[in-house]
Amino acid sequence: MKDPTQSYKKVHYELRPAKQVERRMMIDALQVLSEGGFPIREYQYVGMGSVYFIDFILFHRLLGIDQMISSEYDTTVAKRVEFNKPFGFVDVQVAPVGDVIPTLSADKRHLLWLDYDATLSRSQLQDIALATTYLTRSSILFVTIDIEPPTDTDSPQEWKEYFLEEAPDYLDLGTPNSAFARSQLPKRNVELIEKAIRTGLLGRSDVDFIPLFNFLYKDTHQMVTIGGMIGGPAERRKIRGSALTDAFYYRPSFREEPCVITVPLLTRKERQYLDGFMPCSDSWIPEDFEMSSELVLAYREIYRFCPSYAELLL
Amino acid sequence: MTTHNANAYPRKHFFFEMFTRDISLEDCILDLIDNSIDGLIRTRKIEISGSLLNGNSGRKTSDKHKLPKIEISYSSRRFEISDTCGGISRDDALNDVFNFGHGPGEVSGSLGVYGIGLKRAIFKIGSQFEMTSRTKDEGFFVSLNVKKWTEQDEKLEDWRIPLKFVKGADSEEAAGTTIEIRDLRPEVEMRINDGVLAQRLYAIISQSYALFIDKYVRIVLNGRAVEPLHIPIAESTQVKSALDEYVDGDVRVRLFASLAASAPNKEWPAEPAGWYAVCNGRVVVAADKTDLTGWGTLGFRQFHDGKHRKFVGVAFFESKNLLALPWTTTKRGLYRESPVYLHARNRMIGVARPIIKFLDSIYQDGPEDAKGREIANQVRRIPLSAIAAKPPSAFSVGFAKRRRPKTTVSIQYDAEQSDVERIRTYLKKPGWSAWRIGKHTFDYFLKTECPR
Repeated sequence: MKDPTQSYKKVHYELRPAKQVERRMMIDALQVLSEGGFPIREYQYVGMGSVYFIDFILFHRLLGIDQMISSEYDTTVAKRVEFNKPFGFVDVQVAPVGDVIPTLSADKRHLLWLDYDATLSRSQLQDIALATTYLTRSSILFVTIDIEPPTDTDSPQEWKEYFLEEAPDYLDLGTPNSAFARSQLPKRNVELIEKAIRTGLLGRSDVDFIPLFNFLYKDTHQMVTIGGMIGGPAERRKIRGSALTDAFYYRPSFREEPCVITVPLLTRKERQYLDGFMPCSDSWIPEDFEMSSELVLAYREIYRFCPSYAELLL
Repeated sequence: MTTHNANAYPRKHFFFEMFTRDISLEDCILDLIDNSIDGLIRTRKIEISGSLLNGNSGRKTSDKHKLPKIEISYSSRRFEISDTCGGISRDDALNDVFNFGHGPGEVSGSLGVYGIGLKRAIFKIGSQFEMTSRTKDEGFFVSLNVKKWTEQDEKLEDWRIPLKFVKGADSEEAAGTTIEIRDLRPEVEMRINDGVLAQRLYAIISQSYALFIDKYVRIVLNGRAVEPLHIPIAESTQVKSALDEYVDGDVRVRLFASLAASAPNKEWPAEPAGWYAVCNGRVVVAADKTDLTGWGTLGFRQFHDGKHRKFVGVAFFESKNLLALPWTTTKRGLYRESPVYLHARNRMIGVARPIIKFLDSIYQDGPEDAKGREIANQVRRIPLSAIAAKPPSAFSVGFAKRRRPKTTVSIQYDAEQSDVERIRTYLKKPGWSAWRIGKHTFDYFLKTECPR
């Protein structure tokens, strides 16, 4: 099994603006679903909290979720993870998430975030299939993966070979190398995740996977996050009837282009200025400093979710 | 436009000649045993769902002889199966037993699904049969030359079988059914004389009815009592089995998995390892190591004879709706397109994964990890009922927290090769490794210079 990359040792999780925007958008979606009749507050959150637990803190504070499990793969930091858990009710389980999924209660609805910081591998696809095998009806699944080229070379053929090795059940040997060109990697990764989702749902004739969003973003590496709900016609109706369908990031199918999260590099002063005009019209650009229309529109999409960073002397 | 009706009649010849080709002799005999067991379940009102895993499997030897019995015997001239499983009522005989297939909603037993097993077995085995069945209060008798019966096939009335009523058995213990088939087909006679049928049949019966034999019924094959196969699922104080339990439509599913107990010779042969699938108590798949039970699919490991021979799992399916169970028509396989099976297979992978990871970890780089091996060696066989009595949980291994203090130290040093060779020559041990020479010289010094 491929080890997680331990990115928490490289990057402080709080300082990844695009990731933070993504988290805020997820919370927005969950709040909308809550208004739409899904009791998100009563869901059990299952995540990979590492030592920072950012998502745990946000989901508890902003959504009121108070049943939480954090799966920690690395046994050498078990005490550190337990020490850093932000709330007493967080149940830290020192086991790979694939071992935790089959033990999830069949009596609860779950919000499971498979938040990987590595390129897609065999064990991750297995986790995804396990998730859709076990998750109860109305449960929500998020999957995040690194979609940078999986090898150090610049060869789509080698990248294809990597995926053939890691996902032999899901890839056709006849797929051309061009399907693994760098620009195609987001699509290929999402396809593989979707196939693993379908595999897990085999035999579950009463439910399907209802896509909700598909984010593409980059702090250091390009990442993709897909999200959706395990549900049947009733859940589908509720989602269609909710305000989520109006959200710009809503994606009812993974065939649609992903929602690209771009966080423009702005000074605090620029942000304050821009916020005064948000949400702006399609053609608006600031008069007092240079900023392309493209970046303005990108900012318009994310300004509600964008974090502010400042030094805090404690 | 005038509508004309084309004939779509059944033909006896098809049932007699063609219908019997797609099933083995062994499976036909199992169909007959299924009928006997269904009779037992029906007449003794056994609630299979509640009792198969109720922990009452350790029946004393003396009690076994009081159990109803199914006896199968055959020679190159005749085949007979008789049971004391309660018999068939006249009403059932007149209206159901000899029909070819059940009508909608007519399935009533636990093992007999399609209502063809008896007829197919008789047609497969020979052309003359006699059947006597007695309940406590009434009975019937049939004697039929099947070949002659098939020749008359002009109208629906020709699809009837003459019965004679006979007296009942007077007691529930004596009630039962006997079927004798003569004029065996040449191919059946050939199988009977092939020298391996008896042993093969014994193994299949022992496996298929492992959960019934000596608990509800005794099965005797050619005078030899069939012993049930014991599924070697095991536990210890440190090793806890996995149990996953859920309901899928009309089917209740329980998945058990753990380490395997050793064979009596303290070895772990690969043969009994793998997944077992049980439908309404009948073992339909035994010790499977293929993709049928998830091995080598969806990123899950292939079964490895060396590493995984200590894995055993049981997928237990129960339902009153026999068509909802994921068994094949022969009931010796899993129906790959069944949604119940497909979902169970995915969950079997989830249940097995921690066990396979543990087994892989104790075989890292070849030699077994001593601590893991010790844990795996200490497990003892446990009845499924004992696991079923506990709440669902994942497989777990509790490693002892306190390690024994280490009392040894590793010694490593360089020596001239020529010196090592001189010692080898002196000792007349040209094959000894440098490590062995070092150990020998250390031990020699310890013994001669530092005696206790």
